[in-house]
Amino acid sequence: MFGILVQKELKAILLSPKFAVTFGICAFLLLLSVFIGISEYNASVKQYDTGKQLADQQLREQSSFRMIQTKAFRRPDPMQIFVSGLTYDLGRWAGINQISSPRLRSSAYSEDPIFAVFRFVDLAFVVTVVLSLLAVLFTYDAVCGERESGTLPLVFSNAVPRAQYLLAKGIGAWIGLVVPVVLALLLCMLMVILAGVPMTGEHWLRTGLLMLISLLFFTSFMVIGLFISALTRRSSVSFLVSLVVWVAFVLIIPRAGVIAAGQIVRVPSVAEIQGQRDAFARDRWNLFRQDLDSLFENRRGAEPDSMTEEAMWTHMQTQDSMRRAIELDINAFEAKLYEDLSRRRNVQERLAFSLSRVSPASAFQLAAMSLAGTDLDLKRRYEDGLMIFRTQFVDYANKKTEDSPGGFQISFSSDKGMSIGTPRSKAQLDLTDMPTFVPPVQQIGATVEGLLVDAGLLTLYSLLAFAGAFVAFLRYDVR
Amino acid sequence: MMLEVPGAAMLEAVTLTKRYEDGVLALDHVSFAVKPGQIFAMLGANGAGKTTAINLFLNFIEPTDGEARIDGIVTHKEPLLAKQRVAYVSENVMLYPNFTAVQNLDYFARLGGKTGYTKDDYRSVLLRVGLSEDAHNKRLKGFSKGMRQKCGIAIAILKDAPAILLDEPTSGLDPKAGFEFQQLLDSLRTEGKAILMSTHDIFRAKEVADIIAIMNNGRIVMQEPASRLLGQDLERLYMQYMAGHTAAEAVA
Amino acid sequence: MLRTIIEKEIRDIIGSSKFAISFGVCAALILLCFVTGAVNYKTSQAQYEAAKAENLRQMEGLTDWFSVQQHRIFLPPHPLASLVSGVSNDIGRTTEVRGRGELNADGSRYAEDPVYAVFRFLDLEFLFQVVLSLLAILLGYDAISGEKERGTLRLSFSNGLPRATYILGKLIGSFLALIVPLLLALAIGSLIYPILGVPLSGIDWLRLALIILAGLLFVGAFLTLSVMVSAFTQRTSSSFLVLLVVWIGAVLIIPRASVLLAGRMVDVPSVDELASQKARLASQLMEEDRTRMSEFNTPPAAPGEDFEPDKMLKLFNTFMDSLADARDKQMAEFGGRLNEDRANKQQAQERLAFSIARVSPSASFALATSALAGTDMFLKEHYRDQTMDYQQEYGKFMKEKTGLNPGGRMVIMLRDDNENEKPKEIDPSEMPAFKYAPPAFAESFGRAIFDLGLLAFFNLLFFTGSVFGFLRYDVR
Repeated sequence: MFGILVQKELKAILLSPKFAVTFGICAFLLLLSVFIGISEYNASVKQYDTGKQLADQQLREQSSFRMIQTKAFRRPDPMQIFVSGLTYDLGRWAGINQISSPRLRSSAYSEDPIFAVFRFVDLAFVVTVVLSLLAVLFTYDAVCGERESGTLPLVFSNAVPRAQYLLAKGIGAWIGLVVPVVLALLLCMLMVILAGVPMTGEHWLRTGLLMLISLLFFTSFMVIGLFISALTRRSSVSFLVSLVVWVAFVLIIPRAGVIAAGQIVRVPSVAEIQGQRDAFARDRWNLFRQDLDSLFENRRGAEPDSMTEEAMWTHMQTQDSMRRAIELDINAFEAKLYEDLSRRRNVQERLAFSLSRVSPASAFQLAAMSLAGTDLDLKRRYEDGLMIFRTQFVDYANKKTEDSPGGFQISFSSDKGMSIGTPRSKAQLDLTDMPTFVPPVQQIGATVEGLLVDAGLLTLYSLLAFAGAFVAFLRYDVR
Repeated sequence: MMLEVPGAAMLEAVTLTKRYEDGVLALDHVSFAVKPGQIFAMLGANGAGKTTAINLFLNFIEPTDGEARIDGIVTHKEPLLAKQRVAYVSENVMLYPNFTAVQNLDYFARLGGKTGYTKDDYRSVLLRVGLSEDAHNKRLKGFSKGMRQKCGIAIAILKDAPAILLDEPTSGLDPKAGFEFQQLLDSLRTEGKAILMSTHDIFRAKEVADIIAIMNNGRIVMQEPASRLLGQDLERLYMQYMAGHTAAEAVA
Repeated sequence: MLRTIIEKEIRDIIGSSKFAISFGVCAALILLCFVTGAVNYKTSQAQYEAAKAENLRQMEGLTDWFSVQQHRIFLPPHPLASLVSGVSNDIGRTTEVRGRGELNADGSRYAEDPVYAVFRFLDLEFLFQVVLSLLAILLGYDAISGEKERGTLRLSFSNGLPRATYILGKLIGSFLALIVPLLLALAIGSLIYPILGVPLSGIDWLRLALIILAGLLFVGAFLTLSVMVSAFTQRTSSSFLVLLVVWIGAVLIIPRASVLLAGRMVDVPSVDELASQKARLASQLMEEDRTRMSEFNTPPAAPGEDFEPDKMLKLFNTFMDSLADARDKQMAEFGGRLNEDRANKQQAQERLAFSIARVSPSASFALATSALAGTDMFLKEHYRDQTMDYQQEYGKFMKEKTGLNPGGRMVIMLRDDNENEKPKEIDPSEMPAFKYAPPAFAESFGRAIFDLGLLAFFNLLFFTGSVFGFLRYDVR
């Protein structure tokens, strides 16, 4: 009995004219998105390589360790092919120097706003928007459509248990729709292989998980469609309700959740933080200047011939070390500010995403982004990595500066007038042991927890909707 | 065999032929005429060509050969003019489900070129076709087939056209409604309307029609005044024609 | 006759539960959009004011204009940008003004608050593009095929009803039934802005009106398209399927794909390449100037004259200023050339991208509205030009105050050792304020007019298409 029902459902789907059309389009869109993703990834890799090369070259051209600076780049990751996430919103590089803390600058969208006008399309987008629509489209009339066409009373004039019927309907539709989607997704992966994208085993693991969660998401929308069809009497009504639910889940709730959270939890802007940091820095420098004055005063009083060139150099070195101490102070203060900021941001994010996760579409997108490593954590990860790198870099520069101080000496004298001395030593910088920036890697273990939450939610939504469909169908008036 | 009845024909088919694009010959040189005050009933199985004939009178399709005329106007040449002179009731009257009966009547009356009706006119015509008053201002959504059929007939009456086309108008009506409908047709006949109806209902056709035609495979195989069939068993006749006997054999 | 059909069409649509539900949802979303837009604007405005105040505050207590180090100016939020975000959340808003040299804005909204970038904002532009276009499809997809399925088409055409009149009545009726309620919701939504205390200038109202007009034209295009498709199909299920495919293509795929395609076809040099070329020239020039600096020498104090380091310093600073000016000139020339080259290529890319994208009304709509709101991709350029103008003003101001443009990297100050008199603090409010002027209305309108025309053309095209499709429609 069950087999007959499942078979009928499968046939009904596979033979319907809309099936071929929609699946053709879906497969096309999935492949197109991956094609675009691959070419964008290749372009980013090229840009990353040249950017790094140019930065290295510039570094070698610098003449003094005193003011040495470099750039650290964000490395493109093959996973962005499937889920671009925040890849194009976050800055691509950060300036590393002794003065300011590193911040990612110059996002792809801000450099080339033309791409921001319509944004990119990726696999996650196609799955979220198109596949969910497809899932609903094939199930919205599962029950009420059969009632309208009159087949439902006919079926139940036989000894068919309702539970079995609904289960068969769900399973039949699921097999009929999921198999083609899986085929399309496999084609996408084949394309990635053929394009020669450097995927590691871990990348494949992530991709596999991404595909699984995509199917879970697809299933949840299918079951929601089934639920709606069991709640309504006429397919025109269930169609309308499904469309409204789809718009709300896919388009509205994710955004509205974040906006609401933004209003509930206030987070100071970066400008405010920078302002506070600058104010602190200014106070410290004022103090420094006063200290310096008194130091100079003391020295002049103590040793009358302290104005020799040699003494001036030592004086400059003391100044330098004082300056460095202050820089450290300021950095510590800034770090504290940013820590506070990130704590509040975390609260906001957690609230925003909790609200959004009411919708399966949000849960899916968040899971996909975290799997691909293009979620908010991307920014955090890089900021941490850059901070560490900057400390290494500054330490290195300081050590080198002691070995070969650069800078200018400006002297005033009544007999020689004013003149500027060039640096003492001016040779090619030796950069052999300079630290290099190693892009942080997201540990797959770190994603598992968030992934489980989202996967669990998707399963929960599917089960709830199925249970709802079940209850509704048991009391369904089949006439 | 043409029937000679005095007076000009209101509805007239002249060697009307329709061959569909897929090659099916739906109507094969059919000729008949319906005069004012006459009811012409077409009997025949599904696919015999009855609906095709009506579609040709409404110019929903163009004839392959021959002409359909309403009041002398060739329908496929001047369709708009012709259709002003004809009212139509389909087998399964479908109206706007979100409109009330009166709203539907008002809309279709206006489409029929009648703008001067009042609420009372709609009320009285709906009562005339047998729709109880409490349903007049209800949305069509909840109407049964019979109720919708009554609305369709009311629309046809309101158009007040000299010719009326009825496509299986009594299918799905209960016996009482069928009887009421029959009375209605009688009164329309006395008003001088020319009525062309297709039907499966042999018995009612015999009682109400002036001329009865039996169609098979796109041809009129028998066309007789009802008066001449009075004593005959029409059902037996019909079965014989369906079985492919010629007219001569059957009548004999 | 036409009037009867129009009236019936309007009543039929508005009286349906389909309309009640879907329009109710849309109206609620429209109002939500305006509310979040206003709230969003006020938040941004508060942040902007805070940042500006912070910038001035950090200068308080300074005793010398030389000490002003990090003077930042900001792109102010615009009330309409919350309704039509365009690229306003993607481009940098903060610019550090030095006095000379090229300026680059940094810190885009999405980069600073990436939580919003995850799902992006819910603005009017998005609502029109995605939700209201669906509404139009929902109301129009069964215009003809639905009547056929219902059987009312047969009954209607049993009357002496010209087909052209019928389809015209259908088009006009459904257009009115959709546009008038939408307009009403949008008008009420617009009132939310002043009610929530977001001021709109006269020109802004005009812009908003034009944005709404563009939106209605866009929705109209989808409605007429739906009627057209329904006039070419026999069954509502197939007309809906066709429309859904068209919708996905037009709204979600074509605009994005065309830009990416153009990006592949026209090669634009990356920002990094430009930056590194510029940096190389800068360090080269610096190196040259270093030699010049070491040759600098003021004449020793003449006998009998006092030792006046002040005077020497002044000479030195003027010397440094002239070096910086010369460097800046060379840099500007070189950078200008590079930028222009990139801009030209970008323009070619953009022209190609948008020409392809405009196949879809959705792209035309996005381009028209963002131009009208002043948030199209020219915003970046426009803002940069304004910051450059401001920098000149700032440089002049600093020169007035200190005799030098501080943007020359190296400034040497001699501190007065006389502690007798306390140095006077500077007054930061004297500094010229950055007044951002949004793109002039004429300019915005000029950029939008083509797309507005295109949207009108789409309406006309689909309108005629519907008429032609219906003239040969099988009404049986």
